[in-house]
Amino acid sequence: MSGDENGGSPAGEKPEGQAVSEHLNIKVTDNNNEVFFKIKRTTALKKLMDAFCERQGKAPNSVRFLFDGSRVQATDSPDSLDMQDGDTLEVHQEQIGGGAN
Amino acid sequence: MALCMNRLNEERKQWRRDHPFGFYAKPQRNAQGVLDLKTWECGIPGKEKTLWEGGLFKLSVIFPDEYPTKPPKCKFVPPLFHPNVYPSGTVCLSILNEEEGWKPAITIKQILLGVQDLLDDPNPDSPAQADAYHLFRRDRAAYENKIKRIVRENPAP
Repeated sequence: MSGDENGGSPAGEKPEGQAVSEHLNIKVTDNNNEVFFKIKRTTALKKLMDAFCERQGKAPNSVRFLFDGSRVQATDSPDSLDMQDGDTLEVHQEQIGGGAN
Repeated sequence: MALCMNRLNEERKQWRRDHPFGFYAKPQRNAQGVLDLKTWECGIPGKEKTLWEGGLFKLSVIFPDEYPTKPPKCKFVPPLFHPNVYPSGTVCLSILNEEEGWKPAITIKQILLGVQDLLDDPNPDSPAQADAYHLFRRDRAAYENKIKRIVRENPAP
């Protein structure tokens, strides 16, 4: 009767110009597997990166995560990277330049 | 102009929803931090199992007010050593030419995939720079070594 249909939280005004919900759905893909995560805007992406590695049986230091062409740091959050619902994180194998002549 | 902006907003939305692995494409921010929808920063990875594999090449895509009636200009920054890239970095490709293959329905995804294809499949009949063209023509081994070095100098992030 009193509008808790939307899960409660009248949580104040939305920032102007965009509809902001507290959670985002983020796709994480390594070009073979796709895993979808629901994550809070303010949660450090380390959580998602660790979860992906665990699920795929990869060592966290064997891969790197990219968003819009830039490397994602463990301390970045969806907010700090300006992410939107439905955005994609790419997982690439770690590599070292040079060496192969 | 409104058509141009609407289309660019839609292109960015589609790109965020789905894009080919290893590529990026995003509107640039100007000095004040405001998005400039008419200038995009893009990254094109070298295709697997080609000389270009492992490299990532930065491309600036600049849209005219008449887009999508007219095609955008695509420019490698810095300029790329390639027979079909002008010394300025501008890409010479049929689908980017208003008088040739450009069609308003061509998406940014198709443009970037087209430029990726061009990397390993140069057209020596339509050279745009002398250095890469002559080396490609005269000494294929030296050309390939040079490409390998360029790939090492432009690794994926």
